[in-house]
Amino acid sequence: MNTRVKFSVGLLCLGFILALLPLSGSRSFNVKPQKLLSEMLGADTYLSVDQVAKFVISEDSSVQIIDLRSPEEFRAINIPGSINIPYSKLLDNDPSSILNNGKSRNIFYSNGDFDSNYTLAIARGLNMKNTFVMKGGLNEWFNTVMNSSFTGERISARENSLFETRSQAKKMFTALNSLPDSLKMKFIQSKHSAAKKLDGGCE
Amino acid sequence: MELFKRFKVVITLVLIVLILVVFRSTGINHFRNDAKKWAETSFRHANTIDPEQAKLLKGKSLIINLDKNTKLPLDIAGDLMDIPADSVLSRINIKTILNHNAGPVLLFSEEKGLSSRVWMILSQMGCKNLFILTSDTDNEVFKYKFRPDTMVN
Repeated sequence: MNTRVKFSVGLLCLGFILALLPLSGSRSFNVKPQKLLSEMLGADTYLSVDQVAKFVISEDSSVQIIDLRSPEEFRAINIPGSINIPYSKLLDNDPSSILNNGKSRNIFYSNGDFDSNYTLAIARGLNMKNTFVMKGGLNEWFNTVMNSSFTGERISARENSLFETRSQAKKMFTALNSLPDSLKMKFIQSKHSAAKKLDGGCE
Repeated sequence: MELFKRFKVVITLVLIVLILVVFRSTGINHFRNDAKKWAETSFRHANTIDPEQAKLLKGKSLIINLDKNTKLPLDIAGDLMDIPADSVLSRINIKTILNHNAGPVLLFSEEKGLSSRVWMILSQMGCKNLFILTSDTDNEVFKYKFRPDTMVN
């Protein structure tokens, strides 16, 4: 192989590497826009508050519920078992360390619908497919779970099961959030360290 | 000419690489912006505006109705386009949106989750002056009061 050919091959390789490098050193979405859009339009990216309530009462360790509100709002009230990552801080560090930690589902919630859906678009754009949104946020949680009541005369088995789930989730939510701040944070930390121990196997 | 003949292989390869780089830099079929930078206005909720605020924006607005079966219920001056969310990235539509320099682009959907998802995608593609039009700008405000159980300690 003569020098000219070697030089050409070297230049070509370098060109390909440069062409495939991200255009800035910062993190950018790595999913194609059209693919991301079709994922975003799927109804399966939403979970209802009742579905989340079921995860809460079963203390399902394969699910990670992520509260996107400010630390102050999180300290005041939060869904039992949730962790706090304020939306504005999400991209300060690599979110994959939190979202790709072996949990089968990461469920985002905020007070309403905006922040959780922005976060979902970011997470899916960074190719983290195990991410979902609790539709309606904490406002919908209060509307459906905390304010649930039954006023009829007859109740079907399905309605009864739903009411029971809501009632248990409400009880857990009230118990956790009625604790004084210091105790509440200790309780949350102990829950998370217990979950880590379980994930890590026998100790 | 002699020089071109001697280095034609190298020049051809450099041209191919150059075309690839130009295609990557200007193409619209991928994201190339810093995710955090382009999401920043949403951190402060500065990207959601109500109809009254929309009227105060400078320039001619391009209002995009993302819903298939809902007419835009708001009265705002500007160019109105019905673009269902699933075709917002079609070649013609995305070019219209990205090339609208006369004023802001306003996204509307009855479903706030949908407009916020589309906002994030378009924003990451480099669409500037992009807003979500909603009459519920305090959607992220907690609207209930939690009553603690005083028996718990």
